[in-house]
Amino acid sequence: MAKLRVLYERLTSCCGCQLSLLNCEEELTALAEGVELVAFPMASSRPDDGRALDVVLIEGSVSAPEEIRRLMVLRRRATWLVAVGACALSGGINALGSVDRGTLCTRVYGEQGSCLEVFPPQPLRRFVTLDLQVPGCPPEGGELLGVLGALLRGGLPALPDFAVCMECRLRENLCLLQERRLPCLGPVTRAGCQARCPSLGVACEGCRGWAAEANRGEAFRLLIDLGLGEGEIRRRMTRFAGGDHETVMP
Amino acid sequence: MKRLCLDPLTRVEGHGRVELELENGRLSAARVALTESPRFFEGFLPGRPALEVPSLVCRICAICSGAHRVAAVRALEQAWQVQVPPVAARIRELLLLGGLIESHALHLFCLILPDLHAVDSILALLRQDQRIARRGLALKAFGNQVQELAGGRVIHPVNVEPGGVLFFPDPAALARLAEAAARWQDELPELLAVFGEAWRFPAAAAPVGRSLSIAPSDIPRLSGERLRVAGVGDVDAAHYGRLIQEQTLSHSHARRSLCQGEPLLAGALARARNGLHPSEPDAAGPTGIHGNNGCQARELVHALAQVRTLAEELLAEPRDIPLRAAVRVAPGSGTGLVEAPRGLLIHHYGVDDLGRIAAADILTPTAINQAAMEAQLLADLAEIEDEVALSSVAERIVRAYDPCISCAVHVLRK
Ligand code: SF4
Ligand code: SF4
Repeated sequence: MAKLRVLYERLTSCCGCQLSLLNCEEELTALAEGVELVAFPMASSRPDDGRALDVVLIEGSVSAPEEIRRLMVLRRRATWLVAVGACALSGGINALGSVDRGTLCTRVYGEQGSCLEVFPPQPLRRFVTLDLQVPGCPPEGGELLGVLGALLRGGLPALPDFAVCMECRLRENLCLLQERRLPCLGPVTRAGCQARCPSLGVACEGCRGWAAEANRGEAFRLLIDLGLGEGEIRRRMTRFAGGDHETVMP
Repeated sequence: MKRLCLDPLTRVEGHGRVELELENGRLSAARVALTESPRFFEGFLPGRPALEVPSLVCRICAICSGAHRVAAVRALEQAWQVQVPPVAARIRELLLLGGLIESHALHLFCLILPDLHAVDSILALLRQDQRIARRGLALKAFGNQVQELAGGRVIHPVNVEPGGVLFFPDPAALARLAEAAARWQDELPELLAVFGEAWRFPAAAAPVGRSLSIAPSDIPRLSGERLRVAGVGDVDAAHYGRLIQEQTLSHSHARRSLCQGEPLLAGALARARNGLHPSEPDAAGPTGIHGNNGCQARELVHALAQVRTLAEELLAEPRDIPLRAAVRVAPGSGTGLVEAPRGLLIHHYGVDDLGRIAAADILTPTAINQAAMEAQLLADLAEIEDEVALSSVAERIVRAYDPCISCAVHVLRK
């Protein structure tokens, strides 16, 4: 079988998504057998050969003209373009820095900041067609391996789009929302982490973004019942979902 | 004048480049440009609820997400005068140690080791079936197990909140951890030996910069209340501004830190020189800034021993002990100090009377080291004329600091 030619690119991000992949220490050797890493700057000094690619994985959001250019070039070179993580899918935490960019630049850098070419962080889908979106902040390592495995076998994987609550049920956890009255976002958050946080007794903070058909209105009401303020709920629910979603909030 | 540009720097975390200027074949200037797109953490935190800070700031940088989270929480606890239960402090220390083990193993085995074997990545070493590469990755995995157990997640941990921690790590897993740490303690000296072999590293000038770290206390810990600058003295965390002055630069997206006009040095070498760890820098080991890698190796030995002790102490604790003290959100300000793997990390917050962030200031080790990196490049490369050698040695010098560029520029002060 020909090796899958994979390039990992990173835009505005914290490196967490690629670290999730590098953290699959046990599987890296097997991965190296099926995958040719054309470029992965954090892990390899190999220069990009500039040829066509089977898979391009991109983490981070787009926040500079140069990043749009890189994204476009990679779209043309890739058979499959995969967006990885909350920053790439929705803007993630980065999108919180969307407020008045110009002021932020000069506030932080002084006068010279005004010439910085940056704009509010955007999700990748604003600029290119994506073949797959892997949620999470960061995604689970096994999930990333699963994606590469499926692509190696020639197809795109089906990722769960139901809510974290379902995985909580499967693990027979007690419900944090009802039984411990914690502001858990499991009911509206996309599954795939095996309900990682609620299984430890920690309320889900929604790092995987919205589940399909998430009943946000109902979740909002449940959190109001717990005594949370509207502003706080809105901030909690949009923390990882990006500015895009402000408008769809109840 | 001629310019050499190493762009991008590889096997470092983040986007950056090195620019070298040559005059008549001699190096005349060196600049380290950290060119990430900024994320303005210090810009968007003001106005947000202080309780939200820990979950946001750990996203500054994935490798040090635990260190950022602990530093932020300590700053808030100081602002609110919260006494954290000792058992929670131990669980946090375990998280920090796990982060240090993971990060040092990643740096030494994935980023430095390929240089020692003249290959471009650890994957090449794995393909050659080199045992050292496999075991190095296993050590990195162990660090991650520690982080996951103590923090709930390997990256962006959830188990640290103002007041303490949210859950006690699974005791059976803790017991396994203590056993595994004991096994690693036996194996480490041999596994890490290459990083102490001077001939594998480029010849180097003395390390530049005044060593900066938390001030040593009786028990070695990765978080503290006081700062130390070698040759200048110790101050309380709140007075960090007296020791460290920052400047913005036109060529880089990160600010530069100086102390009395001189570069500062943070990281394993600085910690060793400031007496934060019992082990002295090894006189026979790699010289100059490459000695930082030798110090990282010794810190690993030390960290494994501590993980074992901590795990055993935690197992001896009664299970019904409180993990979190009550927190009353109130106006105030506080500073949290943590030794992140690549050096001192400072988080400072002011909280207003509505419990929102009024001011945020975050100093990261890579930004602190930036001035020293540039001065070190000049000092080390002065005698080299061959351009190929210049570039390769320059990259190895920058890499020796274990720079983490996303950490340096994703925090920007107002
Ligand atoms: S999605 Fe989360 S983990 Fe991934 S790069 Fe963005 S902040 Fe980091
Ligand atoms: S439980 Fe929620 S916050 Fe935790 S990993 Fe899953 S989606 Fe993210």
